[in-house]
Parts: sequence; C-alpha cells; structure tokens
Amino acid sequence: MIDATSVKNSISAISKAMALNIDLLTKLDSEAGDGDLGISMKQGFSAAAETLASFEEEDVGKLLMKCSAVLNETSPSTLGTILSMGIFASGKALKGKTECSAIEAADAFDLGLQAIMKRSKSKPGEKTILDALIPAQNALREAALLGLSDSELLKAAAKAASEGCEKTKSMVSIHGRAAYYASNSIGRQDGGATAGKIIFEALSKSSREAI
Amino acid sequence: MKKIINHPDAFVDETLEGILLAHPDKLKAVDGNLRAMARTCATKGKAGVITGGGSGHLPTFLGYVGKGMLDACAVGNVFASPSAQVMLKCIKAADQGAGVICLYGNYGGDRMNFEMASELADMEDIKVEHIVVSDDIASAPPENADGRRGVAGLFFAYKIAGAAADLMMSLSEVSEVTRRALDNIRSIGVAVSPCILPQVGFPTFSIGADELEVGMGIHGEPGIETRRMMKADEIAEMMLEKLTAEIHLDKGDRASILVNGLGATPREELYIVYRKAAKILIEKGVEIIDPEIGEFATSMEMAGVSLSLLKLNDEELLRLYKHPASTPFYVKEASR
Repeated sequence: MIDATSVKNSISAISKAMALNIDLLTKLDSEAGDGDLGISMKQGFSAAAETLASFEEEDVGKLLMKCSAVLNETSPSTLGTILSMGIFASGKALKGKTECSAIEAADAFDLGLQAIMKRSKSKPGEKTILDALIPAQNALREAALLGLSDSELLKAAAKAASEGCEKTKSMVSIHGRAAYYASNSIGRQDGGATAGKIIFEALSKSSREAI
Repeated sequence: MKKIINHPDAFVDETLEGILLAHPDKLKAVDGNLRAMARTCATKGKAGVITGGGSGHLPTFLGYVGKGMLDACAVGNVFASPSAQVMLKCIKAADQGAGVICLYGNYGGDRMNFEMASELADMEDIKVEHIVVSDDIASAPPENADGRRGVAGLFFAYKIAGAAADLMMSLSEVSEVTRRALDNIRSIGVAVSPCILPQVGFPTFSIGADELEVGMGIHGEPGIETRRMMKADEIAEMMLEKLTAEIHLDKGDRASILVNGLGATPREELYIVYRKAAKILIEKGVEIIDPEIGEFATSMEMAGVSLSLLKLNDEELLRLYKHPASTPFYVKEASR
C-alpha cells in the first residue's frame, strides 16, 4: 500500500542513493555524454526530497506531480526531464488518491513509462533508462498480481532493473550525445539505466527498512 | 584555460543579470525569475511567440526578445534545456489571449520540456502551438530532415514569426507563415577550434591544429567530415554549394544570407566569407536582400563560421523579413 508517507520516504531514499552514487554516474556519463548525470540526479532528487518533506499534502498524485516539477526545475539534464515526465504522468493517474494498492501503483508507473517512450521517441533495447525501468515494471506487475508484500515486490523489481541495466552493456546507443559515439558504446553500461537501477535498489532497501 | 568570469556556477545568472541591467527598457524577468525573460511591452490580442534553449549561444536565444520578434525566452544552463516550469512562465507571460507559439531548435531536451510545458499550459487553458526549427543540413540527410538540429537559421524564423505576430496575424496564420519560412531556410557551418564549458574548464572535444570540421554542431556535435584547413573562399563556396543543393537559387531569385561567427571568429573573416558567397550569388543573378554578417548563434569561444539562407521569392515572407524590430541584440529599421 502506498500513501503520502511512503512517497516521501521513497523520494528521500532515492535522493540518498543518488548522492552515494554520484561518482559512478559521473564516470559513466563522461564516457558517453557530457558528464553531468551524477550532479544532475543528486541535485534533482535532493531538492525533490527536501520539498516533499515540508509539503503538507495527502494526495499521492499531487505529491508526485510536485516531485516532477521540482525535479524538472533542479535537474537540468535530459534524464532529469525524462524522469520528471514519467513521474508527472504517474502522478496525474493517481491524482485524488490518498492511498493506492500495488496494482494501482504499477498501472500508474506503466502510464509514466508510456509517457517517457512517447515523448523521448524511444523504446526498450536502445540503451536508455527504459532498459532498467521496463523490466522493473514487468516484475512489479507480476509480483503484485501474485499478491506479494511490498518489500518482496520491490525486491523483485530491483533485481529486474539490475539485470536490465547489465544488459545495456551489449547495446548500441542511439539517443543523445552517446549516439555520436555509437560504435564505441558496446561494452559500456548505460548511465541512464544505471540511474534506473539505483532508483529501484533504493526503493527496495527503503521498503525493507520500513518493516 | 582563461575565462573572464567570477564563478563557473554563477555564469548563467550573472550573464542574465548583466543583460537585464543593460536593457531594462526591453526586458524583464517574469516573477523575478531570471531564467524566464519577457519583453516589457505587451499588446492585447497579439499571438505570442516564445523560444527557449540552453545558454552559451548569445545572441541566440534570449537576444531576440523584443518588439517585432520574440515575446519571451526560457533560459537553461550552458548547453542544457530550460525546465518546463520556466517555459510555462514564459508561455503565460506571452499569452495575450490569442495563444502562444513555441518556436525552438530541434534538441531532445528542449523538445521534451516544451511538450511538457504545453501540457501544463493546456491545464490553464492557454492555446499553444509548437514549431521546431531544424535548419542544419549537416546534422542529418534530407530523407531524415526532421532529425536535423536547429542552428543560426533560428534567427530568420524568429524574424518572420515575430513580424507576423507584430502585424496582429492570428496564431494559425503566424504558424502557417513561419512553417513556410522554414521550408526556405537552411544552414551549415564549419568549426576550426573547440569551445570550453565554464563548469568543465577544458575543451570536451578537439579539432586538429590544421583541420576543419565541416558541419560541426553548436555544442561540438561531430560534423560530416574532417578536412585539412581550407581558404575562406573555398569554405564559402563549399557551404553555399551544399545549401543551394537543397534551396535552389537561380537567376531572378531573391534571398537573404546570414554569415554567423561561432564566437571566436573576427568580423573581418566573416566579411571575407561573405564576399565570396555574395559574389557567387550575384554572378548567378540572385538578388541578395538585407544580408546579415555578425554573431547570431554562437558556441562560447568556438571559432568557425556558419552560413544560412532564407529564400525570399514569396512576397509575404519578404514583407515580414523587412518589418522593423527592436531587441537587445538586433535592430531592424523600417525600410524607406
């Protein structure tokens, strides 16, 4: 079950994980992009966590939309924009709810991913964050349908995100600056997918701690 | 590396503060947010035309906010898209009840943020149209023209759209004439030395000492080929040849031509390039309308030059191109 407290705790957990992984993200992005991924993720999620902590709102959807706006404004990278678009679409779907089930959350997450794919004109297999998020979404839905507990389903999602991220090593970049060096991209793990993996690992860890 | 700055993190905001202090008659920060700049005078019922993009390209994008051109501009960090929130502020500032056109270069981050901003504007019942400029012929082949980047040709697009809106044409009319202009605008550039992002402090790509990058983008995106350094006349001839392969210019045709320095190229060199391009066109029997030579879309201290064409056989485009404008970086006097 997801409510305002769990949304706030989740964003705070992601913020801490991004801060811990800033060097890894910077390194991955410097090899293919312009190197601002680590700082951009840290800045964006820490601002979002800070804003949400003092934002008195019980509506899960409105909280997510607020998170999207702050992330968009404080994380000036393409990945910041992409995540903010996804979170916005998920938030819109959950607007009016003060709590939601795992299935409802999985549906909202799916709408977020659809928005990302439409707007960024990308699909799985193109060496992007989608290669971590889509497997996570599939695992999440499957686990939710089986009626697993929140911490079990997030564990499954984190595992799927991590495996998906690993697979980006054998993919060729076709989006963004990384695409200019497409032929050199094989063997490198995608920075965006790594951020996706960090997000789900943080969510999984935070749900275990919450028990 | 030497840069005349105070602190890399303050680069964008201090630039904006300077511009605002210099042009308080023309510009204002929307709701006190320096990243959302709008013109000071507004006309009720006028279609709004706004733009946005990363910093590091002055006079593009912000420099063309003013009467007869743009109503507002969303400003991002160096080479990074502004946020959708800042764009929304600009849309709201530019909306005078007739809707707003977002006219911007074809870059992933800018496109996604403008789309998100228009979704937010839609929730506030503001009509928004998007026109994406992709004039750089070196960034993709003609069959994939939608994937091309927007470069100095943005200036021509701003000029036409801004003039149409200034003449109180409706949102759909401004949009139609701007799209017609885009069919007649193409650009290409060459770079001879790289640029340095303030927060990085060293060049993130290199160009060989005796080399020239044909078609390099304004963020250092690789070009179509690396060649041995060429003479100005050869560069002008090559660029014009590539442009006229897409925009045919024959005897009796009219066109404006824009020779744009990328940041570190002296005006003298730009005029040497213009000289050759103009001679070729004059010899062909093409009438050159109000050529522009200077800096329009730069890339920090990158050295190089780009050439843009705007074919003006269309009477309406010609009239709009001639329409007066007054912005911090560009003034067009009324023709006699």
